[in-house]
Amino acid sequence: MNTLTLLSIILFVLMILIGGNRGVRSFISLFINFGILMLTVILMLDSDVNPMIITIVSCAVISCINLFFINDVNRKTGTAFLSTIVTIVILLLFIDFVSSVSMTQGFGEEQSDALAPFSLFVGVDFAKIGASVVIISTIGAITEVAISITSSMGETLKHHPAISRKELFLSGMRIGKDILGTDTNTLFFAFFGGYLALLIWFKDLHYTLGEIVNSRIFGSEMITIFCAGIGVALIIPITSWINAYFSMKAREKQQNVKQEDI
Amino acid sequence: MNVKINKKMPITQVSLYAIIVICFVSSVLFVHNNSSFYKRTVAKVINTELQDKQQVTDMNNNKDQLFTQRITAEIKNGKDKGKFVQLTNEYSSSGVYDQEYVVGNELFISIDKRSEQKITGSIIDAKRDKYILLVGWVFIFTLLLVGKKRGFLSLISLVVNAALLSIALDVYVHQSYKSLVLICGILVILFTVISLLLLNGLNEMTYAAITATLLGIFLTLAVTYMAIKFTTGNGLRYEEMQFLTRPYELVFMAGLLIGSLGAVMDVAITISSSIFGLYEKNHDISLHALKKSGMDIGKDLMGALTNILFFVYAAGSIPSMILYLKNASSLNVTISMNLSLEIARAVAGGIGIILTIPIAVYTSIYFVHKKRKRI
Repeated sequence: MNTLTLLSIILFVLMILIGGNRGVRSFISLFINFGILMLTVILMLDSDVNPMIITIVSCAVISCINLFFINDVNRKTGTAFLSTIVTIVILLLFIDFVSSVSMTQGFGEEQSDALAPFSLFVGVDFAKIGASVVIISTIGAITEVAISITSSMGETLKHHPAISRKELFLSGMRIGKDILGTDTNTLFFAFFGGYLALLIWFKDLHYTLGEIVNSRIFGSEMITIFCAGIGVALIIPITSWINAYFSMKAREKQQNVKQEDI
Repeated sequence: MNVKINKKMPITQVSLYAIIVICFVSSVLFVHNNSSFYKRTVAKVINTELQDKQQVTDMNNNKDQLFTQRITAEIKNGKDKGKFVQLTNEYSSSGVYDQEYVVGNELFISIDKRSEQKITGSIIDAKRDKYILLVGWVFIFTLLLVGKKRGFLSLISLVVNAALLSIALDVYVHQSYKSLVLICGILVILFTVISLLLLNGLNEMTYAAITATLLGIFLTLAVTYMAIKFTTGNGLRYEEMQFLTRPYELVFMAGLLIGSLGAVMDVAITISSSIFGLYEKNHDISLHALKKSGMDIGKDLMGALTNILFFVYAAGSIPSMILYLKNASSLNVTISMNLSLEIARAVAGGIGIILTIPIAVYTSIYFVHKKRKRI
């Protein structure tokens, strides 16, 4: 049997055992996300479409799956979705700028053996692809932070219905700070694990510090880690602000309705 | 950040900000003037001129444009410092393995010919340190501004863990000690203890989370290892690690262990802190209620965390998947060559996340129970 099949079966059984119905939904969402990723890659093959546009669209679809399918459609997930999109656009502009000035797109000389059988003049802008990679690696974490903040702010509002907008915003920031630590931790270790082979290889080649720091691969890895961290930090104030704004709007509306009733 | 400094601020905080600003300024000044520290010749581009431009179509009918640019650069170090050098650079509009250079870029070059009138050389690579440093600082400032003390602790944890990893790999690569599994086992314990202590401080909540993380991660390792052995690794394509002259499977397992660790810690600390939180609010809360709420939090987390891992691992393969597909590889080959290890890592990480949920619930309850008996 294929190892991936066996591992997936184990994951599926465990998800059902522990999570029941939500476990099934989580497992299906993983599959859908895989499908969206493949579709994104296939769309990127068309050199006439800007990869950044494709990235924004597929990030929107991915966050729909992560927010509305695993959870439900309601105001909480709605504001989380809006905040995710705003953050993604800001981050994408920043990364696009960074990856074009830092010259870290494409493959490094260290990978030339693996590239040998391929034609490299494929007509797709790899600088833009590089920016997309960074965004897509962070999208899971960004939506997670957004939904955690909007859920907790919803709880705060339920317990303190008269809270001011500023206080509500600050409560969102506080919750955000609590998850910032665990989420950056999750991301950093995932990146460490993913890059382990390359790190061992750098050590094997006896690269000097100067050679490591300036190499294309290391540069693109560091930029990915940094931008992922910037993304999960940036979503915190953005979500807190947007959610506080819409919560107050919703409350005013409710009060108006009540007054009209009287 | 300086704007926020006012009289109310404790002196330690002011000095901390001052230290950060000093670090920022001096490191930026350093990378802009560090050419003399490099052995390789560094040259700064002062003029570029497009010489030639041609359309190409490769054997798979991909259209691209090739450019040749003539570059004049000023040498920044070594005995030719201050002199100009002539360079040529060929690049394509896709930039898979090449690069357009613009005025202001710094390059590592080798000098080919030296005559009275002019020096000619060839480009080895770009000098990227100043850009990476700047992004690094944007990252540090964002984390500090948003997270304040929490952000600072995350940064410390990142730096300490990265240093530990680097030292451990040095031990693995250069010393006689060659057991990667043992080194990673020790690393995982150190990572867990350091990160969780920095995240949550010295208390019972943290002890419960550390216990749960270690039990969870080693159980995951055992399950994944058995699954791979049972299927003899069928379907795992190690080609993307072919540059390594070391046993791929071991390096892959070590990467899997470290990669899942963050998510497993996340589950453990979130569950234990909420169970302890409930207990602090109501000392008479029943064990059953604690268990139910812990499991509910776990259910909320498991989908999101598994997705985080999936995207972190899979996104990195996008460029090489595009290259494969553009070179007329089938979708099947492309996926199995580029994604098999990434999917295995993500799924194994998912297994770790879910196994840790009940483990974290029961360890936290055990620690709560012990605390209750003491009172």
